[in-house]
Amino acid sequence: MKVVIVRGGGVAGLTARTELDSGALPKSAAKTLAGELARANLDDVPEPPGTVSWPDAQLYEISVEGRERSITVHFTDESMPENVRLLMAWVDSRPERIESIE
Amino acid sequence: MPRFQCTCSIAPPDLLAWLAVEGDPTQRLAAVRALATSAAIRSQRAVVGHLSRRLNINTGTMMGPELASGQRLSVYDNQKQGRPFLPGVLARDWGQPPVADVAVNQAYDGSNATYEFYQDVFQRDSLDGKGLELVSSVHYGVAFDNAFWDGSQMVYGDGSGRIFQVGGLTRSLDVIGHELTHGVTEFTAGLVYSKQSGALNESFSDVFGILVKQYSLKQAASESDWLIGEGTLVPSLGKALRSMINPGTANSGDRQPGSMAGYVDLPDNNDPRNDNGGVHINSGIPNRAFALAATALGGNAWETAGRIWYTVLTTQLSANAQFIDAANATVETAGKLFDSRVQDTVHNAWQQVGVLP
Ligand SMILES: [Zn+2]
Repeated sequence: MKVVIVRGGGVAGLTARTELDSGALPKSAAKTLAGELARANLDDVPEPPGTVSWPDAQLYEISVEGRERSITVHFTDESMPENVRLLMAWVDSRPERIESIE
Repeated sequence: MPRFQCTCSIAPPDLLAWLAVEGDPTQRLAAVRALATSAAIRSQRAVVGHLSRRLNINTGTMMGPELASGQRLSVYDNQKQGRPFLPGVLARDWGQPPVADVAVNQAYDGSNATYEFYQDVFQRDSLDGKGLELVSSVHYGVAFDNAFWDGSQMVYGDGSGRIFQVGGLTRSLDVIGHELTHGVTEFTAGLVYSKQSGALNESFSDVFGILVKQYSLKQAASESDWLIGEGTLVPSLGKALRSMINPGTANSGDRQPGSMAGYVDLPDNNDPRNDNGGVHINSGIPNRAFALAATALGGNAWETAGRIWYTVLTTQLSANAQFIDAANATVETAGKLFDSRVQDTVHNAWQQVGVLP
């Protein structure tokens, strides 16, 4: 399973990509990732309305590519659910993650 | 509604919040205004912005003199808690001496310099022209790589050390001026944050951000580096967020065009790669027009090109203005405020970036 976080917009206007492959993780960490994903409940993240009320708010995309199913969601600094923020913080804390500027 | 005005001042915030959502239109407006001024919940000012959006009230028209708290600014510590904890704990109130926290003092000094710029140069009393208190929160979220204006206050992350340097987001006076100018735009032209009107919104923030810096340094247009956010990114990414005089050269991810020939036509579709239709990308075009006009005019940019751009932002543009509207308005305003030489110079700048034929 692969988790890809793309962050764009923001005051910098840069697009940054963070990728984490569960295959690169130790077994216990892969289990934690699954737990973080379950708690983030990406199925219930609504698409933002499309009108921005916070200038320079970052825009986010999270894609999870699994063996059985894949999901892609969008949100902003304004609409970000707390448990999705915690998922991203966990991914950002893993040394196995791969980061790039698009 | 005297009945309501009488109860407002002592109504608990929860009741006000309920009225703001469930009351009749007069009650709603009064409740939102009372929430905005209630000293008891001054530290929860962000609720006003959220309510006004939920109720679809234009903050620019709603927020009258009632939002003036009588003090110029204040800085809060979000303590890495993020959105639910905005603004956070009061860290330095107006008039208090510097504190140990560098980010708090930078937000304080940068907000103060921005206030003084608008007051001294344009006789504008804060973002709304009516003394709105400048509220800032620092240490937003964990290793958060951004700063933004949330419709009622400034928010600064600490930076992760991967994109922004740790502490980088409060370091740059032009970034603070940029963010606060989003507030000025919200209270004036209200430029829609999408595609060309959004790129104009971004450009006006860069224009007045750099002018706050130039004014603070007493720097003539010819002496400016025209860089936004110099030294805020990690060095491996580049020297700054944007170059107004030479768009596209500030960092390794800089996609800004410097003329219409390079206009990047992106959809506004929530995809982070598309940046609300390229608002931070195509802003390079009007940014360069301003830098070209200011340097060609010479002297202090805030006295010439800045005055023109300020008049246009605050009195000439509608929310859906396009580049051509901004170009025409600045040319026309240059003739009204100055003379035909200045007008020709502004016209020439927009020609060089391909907006005017
Ligand atoms: Zn901006």
